[in-house]
Amino acid sequence: MKAIIIKNLTKEFKAKQKEAGVKGSIKSLFKTNYKHISAVNNISFEVEKGETVGFIGPNGAGKSTTIKMMTGILFPSTGEIKVLDYNPQKQRKKLAYNIGTVFGQKPQLWYHLPAIDTFNLFAKIYDLNQREYRKRLNRLIKVFEVEEFLKQPVRKLSLGQRMRCEMIASLLHNPKVLFLDEPTIGMDIIAKKRIRELIKILNEKEGVTVILTSHDLEDVEQVCKRLIIINKGTIVYDGSTKEIRNRHLKYKVVQVILNNKVSSLGLGLKGVKTVFKGKFRHVIEVDTSKYSIQQVVKKIVSKHDVEDINILDPPIEEVISRIYKE
Amino acid sequence: MGFTKYWESAKISFNNNLMYKADFLANSLFIGLIIFIFTNLWKVVYSTESGIIEGFTINMMIWYFLLTESIVTSPGKVIETFGEEVQSGEIAHQLNKPYNYVLFKYSSNISETILRFFFTFSIGAIIALTFVGGIIVDWKTLPFIAIVIFLALTLHFCIMALLGVFVFWMEDAKALSFLYNKLVFVIGGMILPLEIFPPWLAKISAVLPFSYVAYHPAKLFVMFSWDSFFKVALTEIAWIVVTIGLIAIFYNFFIKKLSINGG
Repeated sequence: MKAIIIKNLTKEFKAKQKEAGVKGSIKSLFKTNYKHISAVNNISFEVEKGETVGFIGPNGAGKSTTIKMMTGILFPSTGEIKVLDYNPQKQRKKLAYNIGTVFGQKPQLWYHLPAIDTFNLFAKIYDLNQREYRKRLNRLIKVFEVEEFLKQPVRKLSLGQRMRCEMIASLLHNPKVLFLDEPTIGMDIIAKKRIRELIKILNEKEGVTVILTSHDLEDVEQVCKRLIIINKGTIVYDGSTKEIRNRHLKYKVVQVILNNKVSSLGLGLKGVKTVFKGKFRHVIEVDTSKYSIQQVVKKIVSKHDVEDINILDPPIEEVISRIYKE
Repeated sequence: MGFTKYWESAKISFNNNLMYKADFLANSLFIGLIIFIFTNLWKVVYSTESGIIEGFTINMMIWYFLLTESIVTSPGKVIETFGEEVQSGEIAHQLNKPYNYVLFKYSSNISETILRFFFTFSIGAIIALTFVGGIIVDWKTLPFIAIVIFLALTLHFCIMALLGVFVFWMEDAKALSFLYNKLVFVIGGMILPLEIFPPWLAKISAVLPFSYVAYHPAKLFVMFSWDSFFKVALTEIAWIVVTIGLIAIFYNFFIKKLSINGG
């Protein structure tokens, strides 16, 4: 069964343009110039019920615009959307009972009140039966481990705690599809890990279809079996996350900061490429099909006095440019 | 079950606003200061007159102004709130819930409005009583005046929400808010009763919705008559219905033009 069907979806915006400086401001008083921006350009895809799909791309790629069209907030310029057999724009309210949304950068909890107050309000908004609501809330409180700070004003919570409460707020009405737009943005590694685990639990135990946007590849890799990469409004990849890992993520970026000035790390390993050579800071790319990260790090530590070391996936922009090169 | 969500929204907004007690008090004290200045201004004007200007004694004039000021300032910056939500992208969370967006905004705004009205009117009343004294009011008419004030606050919100819906398209709320405020200030009779205007302007202003926000309810408060009560209340209801109709039309039109910032 399909949870989402998107056919030839396009969204164009008209953005005001103004030349720089006072002259430009005066000119704009008399004549307004508009620039047509194609945020989403003729995309099509389908999502099965119970799937977890990562929707990734660089900033301004069109991820959030697509999610907002799928949830009925924005109107497409052309194309067709069906979410759980509803037309999101024409049946926004009916669809709202069946979907949950979390926008990482836009909180929905009342800032000065404890999260429990927002939960109670949402129970009324979604017309939930009080007994069922209490039962579900208690379950979510346990799963998300929020009991100890449930009665604290939201402004006093850490980002990770707040995001767990945001997720509860979007799950109270038992949605069939959950849209998560950059849910881990700004979080530390531990908080990110916890959120990823929770998304997995929701999908596996409750069968919730999850659409997750992020510009963090690791987020998506941990949670989603399927990956859609969007760039400049068009889909550049739609397939398994594993395949992307095997084809384009077979290398890691290692950033090393040394305590001594060194002109080169001098590892002498084939498949290790120098990306940046500074006095103290060095960045290398490691082909993980040839060497394990452990081997490379061991070699660096044995040869140099290391102050700090960072192991990263290549940025999404890099993956996209590799896909284009294929 | 349908309306409980709106009632709950009013309650949570009331609780949230109680967190801003100091803000409320500061805002009301500032309006109290304006009332104090106007009290002194009118004292000077009345000292050169026979004691009555266009049917208003100085006490009536001050209490009239206290009521118009309390009504007009109580709902806060509704148009700007629409603008901020569009500009920050927060509107995304408001639009994806199963409720009527404007009605939900009304329910959360009206509880805040009533709270602020209570604060402002109380502080203003203390100033008016201290510096000019009270006015003669038949206590039995107060519940009916309260109805007219409630309708005025609702109409005030509806007009601002109508202009707020235009922000979906224009994105910037400042110009619309400025224009509406000035209309209520002048031809709505917030600063001066319409009787003081040239007759042609008073006639036009008296039928426009802006005067049903400020002038008509305040005049009813200082010069109550049953005829006026029915006329004002029914006309307020009629304007509320008209603005709700216009909100529905323009909402459906402008929602398609909305572009949400961020992400």
